[in-house]
Amino acid sequence: MNLDKNALIEIRWHGRGGQGAVTSAELVALAAIGEGKYAQAMPSFGPERRGAPVLAFNRVSNVDPIRARAPVSEPDIVVVLDPGLMYIADVTSGLKKGGVLVLNSPKSLDDIKSEFSGDWKLAVVNGTAIARETLGVPIVNTTMIGALVKVCEVIKLGSLEEPIEERFGARAKNNIKACQKAYDDVVIAEPAGISASKPRTFQAEVLPKWQEMLPGCVVVEPGNASEYRTGDWRSQYPEYNYDKCIKCGLCYMFCPEGCIEPKGDDYFKVNLYYCKGCGICAKECPKTAITMIEES
Amino acid sequence: MERIGLEGSIAIAEAVRLADVDVVAAYPITPQTHIVERLAEYVANGKLNANYIPVESEHSAMSACLGSSAVGARTFTATAGQGLELMHEVLYVAASSRLPIVMAVANRALSGPLSVWGDHSDVMAARDCGWIQIFAENAQQVFDLILCAFRIAEDSKVLFPTMIHLDGFHLSHVIEPLYLLEQEKINQFIPKYNHPYALNPDKPLTIGAFGLPSVYTEAKKSQDIALCDSKKIILDVWKEFGKLAGRHYLPVEKYKADDAETLLLTMGSYSETAMIAIDKMRENGEKVGLLRLRLWRPFPFDEFRQAASGAKTLVVLDRALSFGGPPGPVCSEVQSALYSLETKPKVISFVGGLGGRDMSASTFENIIRRGIKKSDEGVVSDFEMIEVRE
Amino acid sequence: MMENVITIGKNKITTEDYLAPGHRACLGCGEELAVRLVAKALGKDIIIVNATGCTEIVSSPFPYTSWRVPWIHTLFENTSAVASGIESGINALKRKGRYHSNTKVVAMGGDGATADIGIQALSGALERRHNFIYFCFDNEAYMNTGIQRSSATPFGASTTTSPAGSASIGQTTWKKNMPAIAAAHDISYVATASPSYPFDLITKVNKAKEIDGPAYIHVLAVCPTGWRAPMDSAIELGRLAVTTGVFPLYEIEDGKYTLNVNTAQLRPVEEYLKLQGRFRHLSPENISFIQERVKAEYNKIREKTIKNL
Repeated sequence: MNLDKNALIEIRWHGRGGQGAVTSAELVALAAIGEGKYAQAMPSFGPERRGAPVLAFNRVSNVDPIRARAPVSEPDIVVVLDPGLMYIADVTSGLKKGGVLVLNSPKSLDDIKSEFSGDWKLAVVNGTAIARETLGVPIVNTTMIGALVKVCEVIKLGSLEEPIEERFGARAKNNIKACQKAYDDVVIAEPAGISASKPRTFQAEVLPKWQEMLPGCVVVEPGNASEYRTGDWRSQYPEYNYDKCIKCGLCYMFCPEGCIEPKGDDYFKVNLYYCKGCGICAKECPKTAITMIEES
Repeated sequence: MERIGLEGSIAIAEAVRLADVDVVAAYPITPQTHIVERLAEYVANGKLNANYIPVESEHSAMSACLGSSAVGARTFTATAGQGLELMHEVLYVAASSRLPIVMAVANRALSGPLSVWGDHSDVMAARDCGWIQIFAENAQQVFDLILCAFRIAEDSKVLFPTMIHLDGFHLSHVIEPLYLLEQEKINQFIPKYNHPYALNPDKPLTIGAFGLPSVYTEAKKSQDIALCDSKKIILDVWKEFGKLAGRHYLPVEKYKADDAETLLLTMGSYSETAMIAIDKMRENGEKVGLLRLRLWRPFPFDEFRQAASGAKTLVVLDRALSFGGPPGPVCSEVQSALYSLETKPKVISFVGGLGGRDMSASTFENIIRRGIKKSDEGVVSDFEMIEVRE
Repeated sequence: MMENVITIGKNKITTEDYLAPGHRACLGCGEELAVRLVAKALGKDIIIVNATGCTEIVSSPFPYTSWRVPWIHTLFENTSAVASGIESGINALKRKGRYHSNTKVVAMGGDGATADIGIQALSGALERRHNFIYFCFDNEAYMNTGIQRSSATPFGASTTTSPAGSASIGQTTWKKNMPAIAAAHDISYVATASPSYPFDLITKVNKAKEIDGPAYIHVLAVCPTGWRAPMDSAIELGRLAVTTGVFPLYEIEDGKYTLNVNTAQLRPVEEYLKLQGRFRHLSPENISFIQERVKAEYNKIREKTIKNL
């Protein structure tokens, strides 16, 4: 994508609550403003918590003040911070023809191409590994900005230094390093003619019309929240070693989701539809019969 | 039925007792205190079989009403002025949750300075909260309208909380003659309260889920349409009451208005004083008339336009003002209602009767004449505050 | 339908969950665990009044609800008043033959809704002796809105409105003693509880259900997000809060005090504080101060239990 110098560039970030997607957007905006550009960073204003999919947005322009305040619905660039998100959210929704899709994934470019290629530039980098190595934690919000900037020079890489220092203080140095590493390591594929692979269908949320709202907006289906798959939030899941298990039931008692279920013979199992992977069960098991395994 | 003399407040207490209310949340405040005191007495003497909750503030009064109404209990409370302000946020929730609470408001001026005396500033501050709001002018009316309020509010096609406004002191504390109504007639007129979405373990439901931007608009539209649609039922209930008791109520009451060139618009008990002025001026050959707005929310656009459009001049007396804003609140609404009409009167705004300031019949004569003069001269000041010492 | 029950030790626990999974709480939320266990113990014949706060938000995004019992949320500070209305309404309807169950009214609020903005309504409801259980789920700050301090925030904790900095140690006042305030209303049952001691919590809920009058249970709801602790640490932290004496588990039944976990030797508070980022900035002097005060407060309770004998 050749950026028209005077174009308005719109970016959508996909992240998980508590993992700093908003920070990514803010750093990009601050860097752009530092360069004398017009820029905007916007979180999605929701009550989403740690682990839940969240969105953040940027608008950057060389020329014009940014006036729009609605979320970005037709991004030029999409950045996906979490390797699992692209399988549970429609990350390419609205992505402009000739746009850019930047993915954090441990997979190879070829593998990703077979799943996500389309009328856009595809960029892949193992941001999580870089973050782990450079920062010691798998938080990729600064790392992935490096990848973004390599694929599309919305801002100069150097412009990030000041905002990162301001925001991260003592940890700024390593964050800048992580950024640089992603910039160096990201691999890019040119737009393919057509979208690849099995189309992933995402159910559009069906919202009620005003005539369908019950008086007082009451909800008459008890517990219908159980339709919502909180299992999409997790990045690790518990595995039972039934040889060690003494059927004490503490895992059952301590699960905040209530998704550990009796499985017969007085043992228990986890319902992965809901499991958010907090790890309490593994931590509290008196016989260390539960291990947390990372989601691949 | 025997004709008796009662203070406005006591007339309300009688109506509440006869309506067999289940729960009264009570917090005293001048000038409605007589209402809650009398109700306490009735409960203590076994005359009213209700749970009386002596709450610790008006915010809690209305909150307790939310709870009891939500569980299916017929619920009543009363307040005034600052009390109505303190429960302000709860009012909105009562309406949006569609809970048919009935509340008497003894209209009182808002602080500061502190004033326990009557005007409509408390009403106007609660204008947009979503309740059905109705004005009474005398003790008979408060009695009748409170009874009708239960019937209206609890109707399954309405389910909106309802305020009956009565002027603080001038109506709440004044003894007047009225007729009560037989218990059997009331029992027939007001069926048992049955909320379709009451809280009950047999049918667990969730009230008060939070609304994202994607649904809030639809929730509000649904609420607004329902409130506007309730006007039809209000009028039907008043018709039914008219047949039952022989006393008829309309959303816009007219007094010698049909051939009037100049109309005065008032709300509340000062309307009756205004009638004296109208009578005197009519005797004098002046073609004046009075409109009394009884239904404030949902605003009776059709009836109002029909009543007002034929006059040359419409003089509006507001008993509240919107600081720094357009003419008194009622006048603003009236102008807005008339805007779309091809033929409409010139509207002249006066603000008076604030903080309990009395208004005599001659005051009304003066403002009508002054209104006509301003209208004739084409003087259109935004509003004039009357009888200000300068 | 036979209710499913599992046996854990000598405890029979229903497998019914009246707070359905699918709620939007953070990973490892101590509050939601507490609510889940409380809901289990309460059973079906209840009506819940919930204040605005974490639990309310995560359990009721329209058009979804996690609640399998009747539940109402209205505002932030009026939970006890709404509960008073529900209790009175049920009472009146029963007297008139129009309600036929012994439904228990249950109020739930966070520390902000209980100790700050809702304290008036709570005091009123307790004084009027309404028959209801009030649960304070105390995560020690206004967590739902992003970790602002409340009067239940512990001394020295850093929050966004009591941040630690060169000129401040964070929260400069000691945690408000809500159980004592509740007890000062002369109600029959006051207790503290923690989901780290789940069977103790359930026992207390069952006791509160039997009270014909107000009962108050203060539950420590560990918030890994707000306390800056690992997401699997909720149970561990709750346990440490109890065993260090920071959050003693006790009951006050008709004025009589009982310590439920009576440790002869309290663990040093540092073991508890060092696991939480919100205390990271505290100096050894600060920690000593906290240690002394925790000991003193704990001993006050212990003395009251001894007086019972």
